[in-house]
Amino acid sequence: MRRGLAALGAVLAWTGGAGAVEPLPPDAARSQAVPRTARGEAVLREAGGCTCHTDYPGEGAGAPVLAGGRALETPFGFFYSTNITPDRETGIGAWSDEDFVRAMTEGLSPDGTHYFPVFPYPAFAGMTRQDLLDLKAHLFSLPAVRRQNRPPDAPPPFRWRFTVLGWKLLNFEPKRFEPDPERDDAWNRGAYLVNGAAHCGECHTPRTLTGGLDRSRWLAGSAEGPEGELAPNITPDRRTGIGDWSAVDVAWYLETGIKPDGDDTQGLMAEVIEHGFARLPAADREAIATYLRSLPPIENEVKAPERKDG
Amino acid sequence: MVRTTLAGVVALALFAIPALAAEDQVYIDYRQKVMSGVGADMGAISDILKHGLPYTDAIAIHANRLEDAASLIPTAFRQNVTAGPTDAKPEIWQKADEFKKAGDALAAAADELEDAADDGDPAAIQAAFKELGKACGGCHKPFRKPKEESYKKQ
Repeated sequence: MRRGLAALGAVLAWTGGAGAVEPLPPDAARSQAVPRTARGEAVLREAGGCTCHTDYPGEGAGAPVLAGGRALETPFGFFYSTNITPDRETGIGAWSDEDFVRAMTEGLSPDGTHYFPVFPYPAFAGMTRQDLLDLKAHLFSLPAVRRQNRPPDAPPPFRWRFTVLGWKLLNFEPKRFEPDPERDDAWNRGAYLVNGAAHCGECHTPRTLTGGLDRSRWLAGSAEGPEGELAPNITPDRRTGIGDWSAVDVAWYLETGIKPDGDDTQGLMAEVIEHGFARLPAADREAIATYLRSLPPIENEVKAPERKDG
Repeated sequence: MVRTTLAGVVALALFAIPALAAEDQVYIDYRQKVMSGVGADMGAISDILKHGLPYTDAIAIHANRLEDAASLIPTAFRQNVTAGPTDAKPEIWQKADEFKKAGDALAAAADELEDAADDGDPAAIQAAFKELGKACGGCHKPFRKPKEESYKKQ
């Protein structure tokens, strides 16, 4: 109980208090006049449709939506995404608002165990309480699917949950998003989305030896992206990043998946565009583009590692 | 004796492979030029749409060219070449029917965009372009190596 209170206190500290009304981001779709579940659907899209929780690669287009079971390949082993449908036994249907906020911002399950950081709670910790609860409302409005979560297929110690505590001490500093008063609304909205719900850094930032995000190379690309994919450098470096893309190019890409050279997009990024960013309000895609274009260019060439299977 | 012959065959094969690849290179080159043409038209239509250039009439011409380019894809991939600097997956020849359908889908989507551009309704053009983009993915996903396996990244 005391632990619960302490955790609640921590959540309150990070999110600015349960009762505090968050200033809504500058976007009509965020309006209080819109029903909560609809706002929550917009948040789901901001998060790329949470497609890691749907096993499209394994089960195809008919995969049960958000029911988990998707294999996520990491340098530490295979982890399987969880069921986030409102099924009360196998999903999150029995979760309270506080359970949901604590999971998203602290990486703790309702019974207090640590979530593996393949779940990007370090990014979600920056989301407003309002957005988190809207997202929960939307998730709870979707069909419940009964599907048991699958334990990770990773060697020790990476499959032991208590080791995540060590990981958190080294790599996790939950930070609520603070707008920069020197910048305009579009930039701040972009910064909020990129570093929060859209969790771009989770794939596009290289990781340190302990599996934390390398803050000195933020968004500079990672050879060990999700599912063994290469996540490109998305800083404006001209040679190794997307310095030759304009903000219009970036926004168009997030809407269509078509790059400036006319090529299309594959892999997980194609999914997050289709189920997420393509369905955002145009102003949000433009805000993301504005923010990404403002980043310091970082030279970092992302190359495929030697593949063991030759 | 048998072993020596086998060793000889293996040695010969080892020498033969690079020689064969050099010959195959011209087929890869042709194939990549056809696909580059598709990319160029996709990029050009993108430029018109994302910058709002007053070239709606040109979109119909680009779409028409894409339909023509789609009809070249069976030729471009007639020669089964997967070794060398190419991202073509062997599935192209293993699942020839599916590959053909994917190419036909490109032609059909390009035709839809041409019609939309002729009609001139911006929302319909936008929607048809997105469908066209999906046709690219519909073929690339099963038949082109992902970038982490691409020859360009090795």
